Amino acid sequence: MKHTTDHKANPEGRPELRPELHSESHLAAIDRILAAEEELVPSSGFAATVMERVREEAARPAPISFPWKRMAPGLVLAAGVIGWGAWQAARSAWPAMREFAQNPPPIPATVLLQLEEAGWVVLALAVSWGAWMLSQRLVRRSGLL
Amino acid sequence: MTQTATSAPDRLIADAIDVADADRVLAGETEAFEGIVRRWQGPLVNMAWRYCRDRFRAEEMAQEAFVRAWRGLAQWRRESSFSTWLFALAANVYRSELKRFPTVDAPLEEIAEPAGAAHQYEAIVEQRRCEALRRAVLALPMRYREPVVLYYFHEMDVSAAAHTMGLPEGTVKARLARGRALLRKRFPHLNETGATGTGAVLHEGREALQ
Repeated sequence: MKHTTDHKANPEGRPELRPELHSESHLAAIDRILAAEEELVPSSGFAATVMERVREEAARPAPISFPWKRMAPGLVLAAGVIGWGAWQAARSAWPAMREFAQNPPPIPATVLLQLEEAGWVVLALAVSWGAWMLSQRLVRRSGLL
Repeated sequence: MTQTATSAPDRLIADAIDVADADRVLAGETEAFEGIVRRWQGPLVNMAWRYCRDRFRAEEMAQEAFVRAWRGLAQWRRESSFSTWLFALAANVYRSELKRFPTVDAPLEEIAEPAGAAHQYEAIVEQRRCEALRRAVLALPMRYREPVVLYYFHEMDVSAAAHTMGLPEGTVKARLARGRALLRKRFPHLNETGATGTGAVLHEGREALQ
């Protein structure tokens, strides 16, 4: 007996549509239901309530703007003082920094070893964090969350 | 729905009326905003309803959207039509409202498709199935839910949904396909039954998605 290619039998013996045809009609059913939504009529007092709120908003005095003009001289003065302080600090620290760069103090081998271990720990933490972020992203995309 | 069902000349006239009302509001005539509210209350309440499926809350959210529109009217740059701007603003308001107070606690996995029944109960089962499917839309993750909601709200117009969301059409298409795939997975026994009044719109919508 020759079987047609368009249909295949399911366990109950009934013919089943080809998957792509089933999928099409399935989507069409979803479209039909979600497109044919009943229209909601707003309650009779809706527009009046909105206008009441709008009138309240309109009657409210305009917010007082921040007094930037009064603040400006103070801001300029503060910026000047901070700038001058930073310049003075940098000027006095410059010789010491140059000395440090030219003759750096020797670092003991034990400290270097500890730094290396700390580096590996930071790397492991970064990889774990990356893996966790990736899994969260995949789960969110799949729609499970 | 309503806002895309109007013909092109009607839409042009409606746009002109919106522009005139907006100009009057910006000139200080607060009462002119009532015309905008009366014209757009239906679409905005219905859009909110699709976001939350709670009539009382839908009206509250639409009210908030109108107040924000009134406050921000000066920021409408007139590059797009008034309705496009209004829908985008409303979508922002609804999205942030639903972030603050989510609608559904039930996860998508818990919304089951009603089983088949005897012939005399078919109508009831069909009705329950439709309601379950609409509830399932609310259980979708937000990134898929919003394209689904807006796609059907805009009568299956991907471009309009993309404008409302402020996203590229391709992104909306991809998210829409994923959202519908999730719904298909949850409702494996849905089948197209008979002709519907929305047949032409469905066909156009499907073509737009190809």
